Amino acid sequence: MATVTESNVLEAQPRTPGNKNEARRVRRGGKLPGVLYGAGKEALSLTLDPRQVTRILHSATGHNTIFDLALNGERTKAMIVDWQYEPIKGALLHIDLKRIAMDQKLKVNVPIMLKGEAAGVKQQGGILEQVLREVEVECLPGDIPNSIDADVSDLVFGKVLRVADLPHSDKLKFLTDPDQTVAHITTVKEEEVATPEVAAAEAAAAPTEPEVIKKGKQEAEEEGAEPASEKPEKPEKKEKK
Amino acid sequence: MLMPKKVKYRKQQRGRMAGKAWRGSELAFGDFGLKVLEPGWITDRQIEASRVAMTRFIKRGGKIWLRLFPDKPVTKKPAETRMGKGKGAPDHWVAVVRPGKILFEMEGVTPQDAAEALRLASHKLPLRTMLVKREGLH
Repeated sequence: MATVTESNVLEAQPRTPGNKNEARRVRRGGKLPGVLYGAGKEALSLTLDPRQVTRILHSATGHNTIFDLALNGERTKAMIVDWQYEPIKGALLHIDLKRIAMDQKLKVNVPIMLKGEAAGVKQQGGILEQVLREVEVECLPGDIPNSIDADVSDLVFGKVLRVADLPHSDKLKFLTDPDQTVAHITTVKEEEVATPEVAAAEAAAAPTEPEVIKKGKQEAEEEGAEPASEKPEKPEKKEKK
Repeated sequence: MLMPKKVKYRKQQRGRMAGKAWRGSELAFGDFGLKVLEPGWITDRQIEASRVAMTRFIKRGGKIWLRLFPDKPVTKKPAETRMGKGKGAPDHWVAVVRPGKILFEMEGVTPQDAAEALRLASHKLPLRTMLVKREGLH
């Protein structure tokens, strides 16, 4: 397992915390707004270079990279804990940085990489479905692995790879539920092409409109009101006569 | 066709589609997906046509997830009817999508097959779309 500490330096400039208009101005200037917090110190609003942040996020160690944050001539160990993308173009909008103490344990999400070709796919014609892509672990910053490699070559139908089956080490403490499924072999039935007659019969059998939910009170009122409304009608008629 | 089992009201107003899809805009299940780039309505028939196009292309090879559901009723007045006399009868169901929404996801297929299947699906839709892949896939 390779550790994620790299001799990266991320340069940041302090900015006055403000509303979204100010954050937009920062983005328009080609910079990225961010915030730095943690280690019992005050939160600081920052301006960063989006290219440097993207380089860190796309590196082999990904968001678990620990780097030096150069701010006001000082260097602090930090890591990216949260980031937001714009939904259409995928540009970075904002990042959260956290100060890291190298001698204190922290909780991080480490990606799970499936290795090998599953027997269920190769011999049984199934589909390998990865349900869990990241696992939460607690460890020292220097012991964060790039990824947790899981061998799936023995995975067949009916067998499930769970968090407990992942390679454990003394340095890592798994926080995710050990019974949680990581990957399994699944199958998909090939869709039969329905004949026009069958399709027409199915369409006729299908309901045209969904059921409308009635309010509970109304139902109760209607049930209670019906017998009551019938009774007073009769005396009224008698009165007229 | 897809439609809700139960609804609170039979008819709805048209509504607005301002802004972007801040939710449902990232891959959640599969390795490949189809992202919509403009706002609009996608009908139950269009969703079904896209699903059929994808499943027929990949056959038994992969798994597909639909990330949209047509939960909005659209009403229509009968042909050659004068205006007025109330709102028309429910006709079909649509899913309201905003730019950035992931419509379909796929897993268990090669990148080439996924791209082709999603391309075929995109031709059944009335909106511009793009293919998205999970980070780290080559």
